[in-house]
Amino acid sequence: MTVVQDQLDATFTALADPTRRAIVARLARGDATVTELAAPFDLTLPGISKHLKVLERCGLISRTRRAQFRPCHLEAGVLDPAAAWIEDNRRVWTQRFDKLDAHLRDLQGAPNERNDQ
Amino acid sequence: MNDPTAPAAELVFTRAFEAPRELVFQCMTQPEHLTHFWGPAGTSAPIELITVDARPGGAFETVMINDADGSRYPTRAVFDEIVEPERLVWTETHSGMTVTVSFTDLGGSRTGVEIRQVRVPEAFRSPEAQAGFLTSLDRFAGYLATLTAGPGAEESR
Repeated sequence: MTVVQDQLDATFTALADPTRRAIVARLARGDATVTELAAPFDLTLPGISKHLKVLERCGLISRTRRAQFRPCHLEAGVLDPAAAWIEDNRRVWTQRFDKLDAHLRDLQGAPNERNDQ
Repeated sequence: MNDPTAPAAELVFTRAFEAPRELVFQCMTQPEHLTHFWGPAGTSAPIELITVDARPGGAFETVMINDADGSRYPTRAVFDEIVEPERLVWTETHSGMTVTVSFTDLGGSRTGVEIRQVRVPEAFRSPEAQAGFLTSLDRFAGYLATLTAGPGAEESR
């Protein structure tokens, strides 16, 4: 039970960093080596390794033990609870805002469909 | 404990409304308004179950009721800050999540509303908060399943 919460927390924290989000986005397109991952960023290999360790620790990525290349692999399933939570949250606020918009129109006597100005 | 370098994941939603800022602020802080929109599609938020004690430390409590099966989803929060008509900040007691609502006057009787939600990691570490958050996750999952279950789910008014 706590494990799930810790996982969600770790996932959110890991993804709070823009570089790590970019790494995850890159890995969503396919496995990549550390060198390939470092290329788009102005980062040293140790720098990128630090980010990879954070992602690895929370289970978002895995690395095969294959020689020096050790391609990184995105464990996309780990993202599911976080993505679901975000999506739920977004839906709630979107629907609230839709209703608030309608309510404000009612309050102000619903001016005839003049949305664009 | 409170590591300033620890990144806090944020969720931000914005929307512009065709109404003056004072009115939009009132809508977010008065039960007679909140009851009209607080419950997302397929739910209602009865006015008698809404508590708004609009002062720092005051309670902000709502209950969303599923129109289809009557299940209830209470949310309890405590206001951290009230700056009429600019800003509202509350923290949910079950999740530890802090929600900041900013109201911006866009001119021409239009108002921008930004919802910024920050998870507070320390708060999540208490077993109580963790259990509460999971419960609310489960509830939301079940609630959303009912929302998307059948046709006509989107005809909310």
